[in-house]
Amino acid sequence: MDAADAPRTARPSGITRRVRETRRSVLIADRVADWTIRIGGIFVIIAVATILVFLTQVVVPLFTGARVVGQHAFAVAGMERGPLSAVIDEDRTIGAVLLRDGSVSAFHLQTGTPLAAEPLALNGAVVTAFGSSLNREQILLGFADGTIRLGTMRFTAEVITPDRLPPDLRRLNERDRTDGRSVYSRIPGNQYRKVDVVVRADAPQKISESAIRLADYRVAGTVERPTRSFATVDAARTIRLSRAESRVNMLTRQVRTAVATTTLPPVPPGVEISAVLLTEQADSVLAGTAEGRVFRYDTRSFTAPRLAEEARLLEAGERLSALSYLIGEQSVVAMGSRGTTDVFFLLERPGSDSADGKRLVRAHIMDRHADGVGAISISQRGKVFATADARGNVWLRHSTSNRTLLALEKGGEAETYAALALAPRNDAIVAIAGNGRASAWNLSVPHPETTLGTIFGRVWYEGYQEPGFTWQSSAATDSFEPKLSLVPLIFGTLKATFYALLFAVPVALLAAIFTSEFVHPRVRAVVKPAMEMMASLPSVVLGFVAALILAPIVEDWIAAVLMVFLAVPLSLLAAAYAWMYLPRSLSLRYGGLPKFALMFVALGLGFLACVALGGALERIVFAGDIRSWLDGQIGSGFGFTTLLCLPITTLAAALVGNRLMVPLDEALGPRSHGVVATVTLLRWLVILVAGLVGALGLSALLMGLGYDPRGGMVGTYVQRNTLVVGFAMGFAVIPIIYTIAEDALSAVPEHLRAASLGCGATNWQTAMRVILPTAMSGVFAAVMVGMGRAVGETMIVVMAAGNTPILDWNVFNGLRALSANIAVELPEAVRDGTLYRMLFLSALTLFAITFVINTVAELIRLRFRKRAASL
Amino acid sequence: MNTAPAASLPESARDANASLRRAISETRRRNAGKVRLAGLQGAGEPWQWCLGGALALGILMVLGLLLLVFWNGLVTFWPRPIEQVRLHDGTVVAGEPVRSQTFRPGQEVLAALDPAPRSGIERNDGMAARTLYRTGNYDLYGDDFRWLPDYEIAEVSRPWDLMLVERMEWGVFVGRIVAISSGGQRAPVGDVRSPDLIKRHEEARRRWQSIRALERGEIGAVNHRLEQERLRLRRASLANPEGGTALDAARQRFAEREAALKAQHQVLADRASGMRRAHEGDLVVLADAAGREKEMPLGAIVRFYPANDLSLAERLGVYLSRWGEFLLDEPREANTEGGVMPAIFGTFAMTLLLVLVVTPFGVITALYLREYARQGRLVSIVRISVNNLAGVPSIVYGVFGLGFFAYILGGSIDQIFFPERLPNPTYGTGGLLWASLTLALLTVPVVIVATEEALAAVPRSMREGSLACGASKWQTIRNIVLPRAMPGIMTGVILAMARGAGEVAPLMLVGVVKLAPELPIDGYFPFVHLERSFMHLGFHIFDVGFQSRNSEAGKPMVFVTTLLLIALIFAMNVSAILLRNRLKRRFQGSQF
Repeated sequence: MDAADAPRTARPSGITRRVRETRRSVLIADRVADWTIRIGGIFVIIAVATILVFLTQVVVPLFTGARVVGQHAFAVAGMERGPLSAVIDEDRTIGAVLLRDGSVSAFHLQTGTPLAAEPLALNGAVVTAFGSSLNREQILLGFADGTIRLGTMRFTAEVITPDRLPPDLRRLNERDRTDGRSVYSRIPGNQYRKVDVVVRADAPQKISESAIRLADYRVAGTVERPTRSFATVDAARTIRLSRAESRVNMLTRQVRTAVATTTLPPVPPGVEISAVLLTEQADSVLAGTAEGRVFRYDTRSFTAPRLAEEARLLEAGERLSALSYLIGEQSVVAMGSRGTTDVFFLLERPGSDSADGKRLVRAHIMDRHADGVGAISISQRGKVFATADARGNVWLRHSTSNRTLLALEKGGEAETYAALALAPRNDAIVAIAGNGRASAWNLSVPHPETTLGTIFGRVWYEGYQEPGFTWQSSAATDSFEPKLSLVPLIFGTLKATFYALLFAVPVALLAAIFTSEFVHPRVRAVVKPAMEMMASLPSVVLGFVAALILAPIVEDWIAAVLMVFLAVPLSLLAAAYAWMYLPRSLSLRYGGLPKFALMFVALGLGFLACVALGGALERIVFAGDIRSWLDGQIGSGFGFTTLLCLPITTLAAALVGNRLMVPLDEALGPRSHGVVATVTLLRWLVILVAGLVGALGLSALLMGLGYDPRGGMVGTYVQRNTLVVGFAMGFAVIPIIYTIAEDALSAVPEHLRAASLGCGATNWQTAMRVILPTAMSGVFAAVMVGMGRAVGETMIVVMAAGNTPILDWNVFNGLRALSANIAVELPEAVRDGTLYRMLFLSALTLFAITFVINTVAELIRLRFRKRAASL
Repeated sequence: MNTAPAASLPESARDANASLRRAISETRRRNAGKVRLAGLQGAGEPWQWCLGGALALGILMVLGLLLLVFWNGLVTFWPRPIEQVRLHDGTVVAGEPVRSQTFRPGQEVLAALDPAPRSGIERNDGMAARTLYRTGNYDLYGDDFRWLPDYEIAEVSRPWDLMLVERMEWGVFVGRIVAISSGGQRAPVGDVRSPDLIKRHEEARRRWQSIRALERGEIGAVNHRLEQERLRLRRASLANPEGGTALDAARQRFAEREAALKAQHQVLADRASGMRRAHEGDLVVLADAAGREKEMPLGAIVRFYPANDLSLAERLGVYLSRWGEFLLDEPREANTEGGVMPAIFGTFAMTLLLVLVVTPFGVITALYLREYARQGRLVSIVRISVNNLAGVPSIVYGVFGLGFFAYILGGSIDQIFFPERLPNPTYGTGGLLWASLTLALLTVPVVIVATEEALAAVPRSMREGSLACGASKWQTIRNIVLPRAMPGIMTGVILAMARGAGEVAPLMLVGVVKLAPELPIDGYFPFVHLERSFMHLGFHIFDVGFQSRNSEAGKPMVFVTTLLLIALIFAMNVSAILLRNRLKRRFQGSQF
């Protein structure tokens, strides 16, 4: 302290009192420090709370579903001529309707302003059938004379600089200008995007003698060499599958299109076909009938198509109003006249009566419309689709999560929509009624696939045999649907934690009790800091050692490793019974360090026994080859079940043995040390034998009941497995559990210990009956803290766990933990995408789990501290 | 009991008492040295051994791990002999033996064997021994390692002239140096220690180093300035309207500068390509054990030595030079060879930054909680929460760091200060600053808890004494409380450092990369580049061990890096303990 700052004491002899003032600088410094510390402290506390808030804020949009951003109504011209197809471009600029006479009615989507568009020259012919690819770009027009024309209806977008902008543009809205035909949208970077709709059709091809009634069209292959396939149904109810191949003549540059056609087996007479669907590979054709049945043709062989299956999709009496694939062509949506909207998957069903062993299975029953479903428009990304019913209700749905995202409000009075279009990015819907009245909605549907149900419940994904929990966030193809169930990951975390604690808790707690109660303080002063230091060992080191050193060793020595659980306790116990032969004088004299050293020796002998007896164990229990045994190829589960039962039955035998302790003691009376030690040893051996016999009996009983451990806790062996993870992670948590438990045990007041020993209890009795019960809550808190650490451990599971997201308790199989999943996938996740938010949800889940565990541990520890202080 | 009986007792009673006493002492004599079963059982000997066994197991595990890492880390750089192996089919292979194991050869292999080795294997339960050789020569063989079963080996020798050649590319070469050729003239090398070879190798290395210095230094500087000019132009075009005079002036200026810089660049590039030509013309001809030749620039050889013909001093020389390279040089060969200097630097810089952030905030918060806030339910809830935050998984902090620091904070900084670089992120992606802040958030509970404990340990009497002398609150804290709490605070900070240095998982999300092209500190303004991504020792272990083309080739490197990291962290921990003890001693004398 500066001398000047301290107020000088008045001299005792002084009479006058001088008024003293604290210097301003001191006051200011004090005030500044006061505020800095207050603000700083509160800031840090808020910052820490921000973590929780921020994580939640990122996660919330996952569950908000969809919402309407804007809605407006306008009129579209020419609808009375009959609409074929309505489309919207990528950027929600233009909407266009293709009409039966080949003309195109285009309009600016956001304002409804009509735009001019070049019509198709059909020479007065009227389209009788229309088919298009799933993105509605490739179109097929069928005519009354039995001809078809292939073509495209697509938007062209071109980025241009402002100086190339044509003059006299009419302003449509904030973003868009038009010259009456194209729309020019201002885009960032001071540029414009010119959008047009272009419709084009090839020359007619004769397919049938009668009028074409229904058609579906797919284009596969590359842009240079497309394979066009189409299915048609004519007025004579003949279903045809055709393939068109275009060849460019290298010399003349002329395109020649050759069409090959095959006729599919006929449907029974009297059946009215109302829908036809084709797959992109043209390997399957679906023909839906008006009364709700579907004929599925297997057309993998183009020359010999066959009827694979006839299935009923709707209830009797309900008429099929529309049939459509969802993107990826694995889901078929069947819609009926009573509002039914069901999604079917084509799945392998062995034993079914279909020709190819597959069947259409009703996978999702969606909400019913109040009236017949008239129109459907599917999304180009994901399993979203929009449906419109006869009363003018438009619903946005998602098939996998089985829910209605939005029920859109009608623009006016009830009317039936003749055309429905969902924008390619799922961000707008336009519905146009037969009288030209159109309603357009701008939408925001960021994460249609996630609900609490899909994240934590069973979900039936396309191609899966049944609903299940799946995590598979990415794949090679575009039509892939991410499968985002957190259940396998949470399971992986819990599995790793469980096996790690199974190993760590006994070792850490036993070691802590021994350190606090049985070793000399000088040994403790060395051992404890050493173990504490281990807590700061980077987990990446443990992961590396586990995966690259330990895993190969364990793989070569599985039997010996399993032997450890048997041989090491037995060798320690055997050493203990041998030690009891020592006369009291010697055992007291060498009870300190020499005994502890002998424990190391016993442990070493145990390990040697493991190496030596591993082969024998493999021969006796695992039929000579543990890998094949684990695969379930050879041997029976008898031996291994016996091993599993052994601890339980031995414990039971020991309990019975303890009951007989008092009578035995009475009968024996005081004897010489050697005799008593022998009796003790014999008693132990009897317990062991009884345990073994009991285990054999129990195992035989379980065998008789048909139990086999394989497929449950053990199974097929994988190199990076939970055993290795459990060991490495145990290594990481042992120091933590050990340190906290040891602290708790040492904090038990010394007078309790002294009192117990003074009453004649042995060290062991004091430890078990006095110290441990007193410190129990502290010890429990130690286990909880260790558990929290194991749950969040990342690098070890990333490196040593194999990262397979499966639900399997098998200790010899891998796992994928929440934390590892975040570390592996977050660097690749697109910002604010569904996966990104899902990974944030994983982080939030981890945060919540560990926070709860730690809080519980902390509360228990506080209680323990209070209790220990009051003793 | 043994006190004199009351005199009033009748005679008979006194007799009975005496006989009882006699009987007791008789029994005692008879039972001397005898024990009862319950007595022996009460010591709980078997249980004690189980407890002790668990502790012994823990100690063994710890020691085993440390020994494994230390031993493997220390021997990695020691030059090992090369064995030349002739197989029964006449093939000659040379390499360093790495390890041996027994394995079970397949049936078809056994069937193709000669009867003698086959019966040997059958006698041995179908097991045979094999040795893993590090053969090197990846460019010739397509692999670095080869398992050789014992039954295939005809002869093993250690020729004195086999060389181990460490190269810039393709890993090591095991074989002989046949000749050196420059300008098309081939001069055979007779003696592996010929001074001419050594001199020319040193020259070639110097030349290669000057090429690198030229490319990195001067050409790099010109490129940097060119990039600066480009960014300046872009900023001008963003800030000014099209067709304005300001933009035209900027364009004018850019054209002039660009021309000047490009001319400079041309001169330097010509010089560099001339040196490169010299580098590529100065060749060495190597041959593997079987005689296949390989020609390569002499300057691309880092080090070579006759592995079977080294004296102890020479071995030590190679060993130390490898350690020197490891600590001071940059990595080569997808990080599996060379040094880890950038990783050491990155770890160090990140830890330093972490301490600079975490210390003031941790201490201020602890001061607030302990000295300023009203002690009530709220503060104890906050305290429990802070305690618990230390137990929240580090990966969660990584997620927060990426989402909040990098994307939101960094994204905003980019929008405001570096619009000319968009869409390439400057601060809007992982980097040194965000990594340090993330780890600071992760370790701040450690500092808060340690500081709070230290503050609580300062006796109340001292505080009251100071206040009673008229000191203000802040004066008391600064002059009385903080100095006494200093040991505890330092311990907390060092423990936070140790935890931060060893953490890898969050860093994978916020800025650690496997190979950083530039260090966060260099000679270009503003000299310290906190936005840059960096390398880290812990991530280096993960990367080399798991992401390299051959984990076997990377293993030695992983062990050495592990050794370095553990040494670093243990050094911090030990210094924390020592510091605590020293500072404690300082105050012992002044105890009341």
